[in-house]
Amino acid sequence: MFEQQLFNGLTLGLIYALIAVGYTMVYGVIELINFAHGEVYMFGAFLCVTFINSLGVPLFPAMVLAMALCALMGVSIDHIAYKPLRKAPRLAALITAIGVSIFLQNIAMIIWGSRPAPFPRAAVPQYFSEQAFTLGSVSVSGLQLFIYVLTTAMMIGLTLIINKTKVGTAMRALAQNATAAALMGINVNRVIAFTFALGSSLGAAAGILVAMYYNTMSATMGYNAGVKAFAAAVLGGIGSVPGAMLGGVVLGVAETLGAGYVSSQYRDGLGYAVMIAVILLRPSGLLGKSVGQKA
Amino acid sequence: MSGKSTALKLLGLGVLLAFPFIPFLSSEYVVHVAVLIMVYAVLAMGLNVLPGFCNLLDLGYVGFYGIGAYTAGILSLNYDMSFWIVVPLAAALGALCGVLRGAPTLRLSGDYFAIVTFGFTELVVLFLTNEIWLTRGPLGMPGIPPIDINLTWLGIDWRYDFLSETPYYYLGLLMVAFVYVVMCRIEDSRLGRAWLAIKEDPLAAASCGINLMVYKSVAFAFSAAVGALAGCFMARWSMFLAPDVFKFWESFLVLCMIVLGGLGNIKGAIVGSIVLIALGEVLRVVLPHFGLPTETRFLAYGLLMILIMRFKPGGFFPAIAATSKKSRLIMDLKARLQTERAG
Repeated sequence: MFEQQLFNGLTLGLIYALIAVGYTMVYGVIELINFAHGEVYMFGAFLCVTFINSLGVPLFPAMVLAMALCALMGVSIDHIAYKPLRKAPRLAALITAIGVSIFLQNIAMIIWGSRPAPFPRAAVPQYFSEQAFTLGSVSVSGLQLFIYVLTTAMMIGLTLIINKTKVGTAMRALAQNATAAALMGINVNRVIAFTFALGSSLGAAAGILVAMYYNTMSATMGYNAGVKAFAAAVLGGIGSVPGAMLGGVVLGVAETLGAGYVSSQYRDGLGYAVMIAVILLRPSGLLGKSVGQKA
Repeated sequence: MSGKSTALKLLGLGVLLAFPFIPFLSSEYVVHVAVLIMVYAVLAMGLNVLPGFCNLLDLGYVGFYGIGAYTAGILSLNYDMSFWIVVPLAAALGALCGVLRGAPTLRLSGDYFAIVTFGFTELVVLFLTNEIWLTRGPLGMPGIPPIDINLTWLGIDWRYDFLSETPYYYLGLLMVAFVYVVMCRIEDSRLGRAWLAIKEDPLAAASCGINLMVYKSVAFAFSAAVGALAGCFMARWSMFLAPDVFKFWESFLVLCMIVLGGLGNIKGAIVGSIVLIALGEVLRVVLPHFGLPTETRFLAYGLLMILIMRFKPGGFFPAIAATSKKSRLIMDLKARLQTERAG
């Protein structure tokens, strides 16, 4: 029982981690809590299902298409809403981010309705719902295995992009010091756009996986997931990509175990409680470096 | 310029003079909306204390609204307490919760403060939804008695129950005026100037001998107490409470009001609440014609926020402090200091 809970928590945690890296990367380069990230995640799920239901696209191409569209969406959000405010006070950018989030959530309500919708059963391969294998007392379904493989692959890919490619180096440079990076000839706006694209496509993938895992999605799903992913990012140390991955997994496990052993009604509250506790006790997070106050 | 401002002043005066007579000139519905505006005006003025006066973005303000409302609901329903006793109790409880929420966040600023307050309002809603023994949970609390004025305890045989919208209208007007005057007095006091200093630059304020901990705590308590007051009034006015009322949406709506009016401007907060509640009522009527749920009116609010921040970052009535010559001097100094520090 405990092992199964732990495993389910791990599955959920990997998905949180996937959303959290999007938060943490954007925070790393422009120091903004991108409240709209949760909405991109929600759009990912809805776009994928729309492709499947309305256009008859098979699941995997629909996923890729939705991720690509969400990447575009992330870039557009930055370009339209955040870019004009780069030099404005932090409060203005933060309020704009909330505005974008509320706006997108309501657009989704208008397009797809405000009631929860199911994920199309027929599009999900048969072997996803079957038990793939058992490990001791833990039974792993095909979908869980898929989530494991996909999220791990994406994390590895992301780590490689950040550490090995030129644009990844530019991202890290920007996170260190944007002015110095610009002086070194880095096209700051292009790197920021790339960061948004990367983070948004991973967020979209997470949205699709969650919709598949719980077989439901709604226009307001981004709200909760956004807060939890942000909590995960803070937990791991905001701005740190490995930290966000670790934070997501820890939060997912804590939440599942908490729901199982403490109180299932306060399941969502646990995420907030963890987040508040971390901000108060260790504001730099588990893997974050403590930084002095910027002038 | 001066002609325009005179016209504006005259218009304001006209509105002010017409205000007491609204219940005699219009329908029950209009009066109802007017009372709603007053509740939000009080909320907006209360929220304004943190983002407007101290530059701390509070995203969990409706938590205190909820605490005040449920305190009023529980005390009035279960213990049959008079509104006039409940108000100070709820305000005190709100202030206490405000300090409790604020105390651990004293070291935080900017985004982290915002996100902690955001978590706080969610926890309040979860508490109200799940502690069914106390709040009846999702079923809500019906049958909260209306406000009454009862003089029998003085030995005078006189009692008046607020059974229509009109008495609420006048009490609400009184409440708005009271909070407005208090806010203006505070803004112009030592306390208000200390807050302004914290808003401009917390580090500089601290080095000038302003005790950040004390002044921020007072701001937390004061802001929360005003929110609880609004909640108290709302509970006894609407006579029904449900946890859903106190979700983040409401915080966002109140935030919209003060951003629209101009962060830090007390009059702006009132104007913002009038404009947005009126807009909300219009959309509530219009949206169903297009087959849209009324919740989608937040679409307009969201867009409004983005546009204001983009084109009018100070709102429509920027706080005087941000445009005055003195403040510009401070800004210049700050900018110069920053470039020196960076270089």
